[in-house]
Amino acid sequence: MALISFENFSFCYSATAVPALQNLDLQIERKETVVVSGLSGSGKSTLCLAAADLLGSFPAAAATGRLHRQSDPSGGGPRTAIVMQNFYAQISYLRTTVFEEVAFGCENLGMEREEIIRRAGEAMTATRISHLADRNPLELSGGEKQKVVLASALAQRPEILILDEPLSQLDPESVHYLSEVLAHLRGKMSIIIAENDPYLTLSVADRIIILADGTKIADGKLEEILSEEAETHIDLPAWTKCVQRARRHGIIRDSTVKESYILNYKQALETLMSLK
Amino acid sequence: MRIEFQQVTHSFGSTNALESISCRLASGRTTLLVGHNGSGKSTFLKLMNGILKPSSGRIWLGEVMTSEYRLSQIASMCALSFQNPDDQIFASNVEKEIRFGISNTGRDGSLFLPLVETLHLKDALSQNPFEMNYAMRRLVSIAGTAAMNTPIIAFDEPTAGLSMREKNYFGQLVSLLKELGKTIVIVTHDLDFMLQWADDLLMLSRGQIQYCGSRDAFFGSARARPVIRNCGLRIPNYLRLSRALGTAQPCFSASELVDGLIGKKGEPAPP
Repeated sequence: MALISFENFSFCYSATAVPALQNLDLQIERKETVVVSGLSGSGKSTLCLAAADLLGSFPAAAATGRLHRQSDPSGGGPRTAIVMQNFYAQISYLRTTVFEEVAFGCENLGMEREEIIRRAGEAMTATRISHLADRNPLELSGGEKQKVVLASALAQRPEILILDEPLSQLDPESVHYLSEVLAHLRGKMSIIIAENDPYLTLSVADRIIILADGTKIADGKLEEILSEEAETHIDLPAWTKCVQRARRHGIIRDSTVKESYILNYKQALETLMSLK
Repeated sequence: MRIEFQQVTHSFGSTNALESISCRLASGRTTLLVGHNGSGKSTFLKLMNGILKPSSGRIWLGEVMTSEYRLSQIASMCALSFQNPDDQIFASNVEKEIRFGISNTGRDGSLFLPLVETLHLKDALSQNPFEMNYAMRRLVSIAGTAAMNTPIIAFDEPTAGLSMREKNYFGQLVSLLKELGKTIVIVTHDLDFMLQWADDLLMLSRGQIQYCGSRDAFFGSARARPVIRNCGLRIPNYLRLSRALGTAQPCFSASELVDGLIGKKGEPAPP
């Protein structure tokens, strides 16, 4: 059975008239990495909150269908960590150094002291914030705070890691590095990432889900689900966009290239080269 | 309106966020302020609009030295849209939020309608911003800032967390503000998207300036590669492609690259 399954699931926040998720059917397997993309307002963040079993804290006007998170033999739900879109709200305000902040989640899980220290250290290395260990988390820049919250989630080694736009405030070098960290975690836990960055999707996703107005409109590997319709909902790599633009000018003659989207840099470059 | 920093240092406790930096941003130009996380970008913006006062050094906006004026006086020269829109938004509906700065300072509100149209907020004017999704809140905070119609307008990571649709709205807003002759400063990590609107670059690393000057001169120089690495950036993808393809000019967007490549520059883009 899937680790998380949504069956005909709909959710409407009490403050709004339009449902955030509508008739969603979705299975997320154990140790699978899924990227959730789609335009702003399409339901990505609500899906993340639902997968983390946090929707109960919102007053709902209506919630129908079924959301099931598979329990472990002890009866508890799967251990989950989430980095929310508004990560500023996740800083504890209870710890005065970055190291303590990163360790805080593990402390609450009742781990051994040595284990906590080791994990916090590893998580800070993975997010490249070791040099900030003694700083006050409240005095950091926005991007640095985002890394601290990310490190706190990683340190807990959850069964389900949920990241809502985890790269939004990071510099490109950090984005590159974190993509590698996530690629390394792939297959070790279930990872759900709400993100529109096509490069991240290409490097870590087992599959991509596209949401539009709270409904799933595509589900599969990126190269399989791309279409003119899908293209209006997600971003594509720069080179793919160039080939698509050339195609719209009607100047790509090669019929083998005509139908499919070129996601590979080298192949896109060759195609563009032939236009010169 | 020109912006000038003269040997400006700013410290938070024992940490120097900016260290003795000097630079001049010319009037009517659009500058991208870039650098790694914690390099001092947001501090630069807050010093520029007077929220922070420098620990030492001088900051000029036009002929005005910011330390001699109150924040409320500087607000009529320089408007800043914050990194976190939730730090900025407080009104009970979108129209009130966007109009607040205008009505509060008695400034000319002529930008209200064009802004609301450019950012596609027309149907949302009566909504409560706190009940809107993140991207919409971001657009509302951007609109509220630009509506002030100040000579200098600054944006802190305006496209973070936006999908392509809203990013394009923001791009159109920058075009509009450029036409109006505004001096624009944008903090961004999204070089692939933003470079096409930039005249100049201001690049920071560890609180110090690595480059300040024209975009085209920068990417044409041998210094580009090491400075980019120092600032936590990567070579922009369109530039990488245009170099690999040997285009005559460096390109910063798909339209520049492809339309240039096939000699259709200047023609309207296909849908």
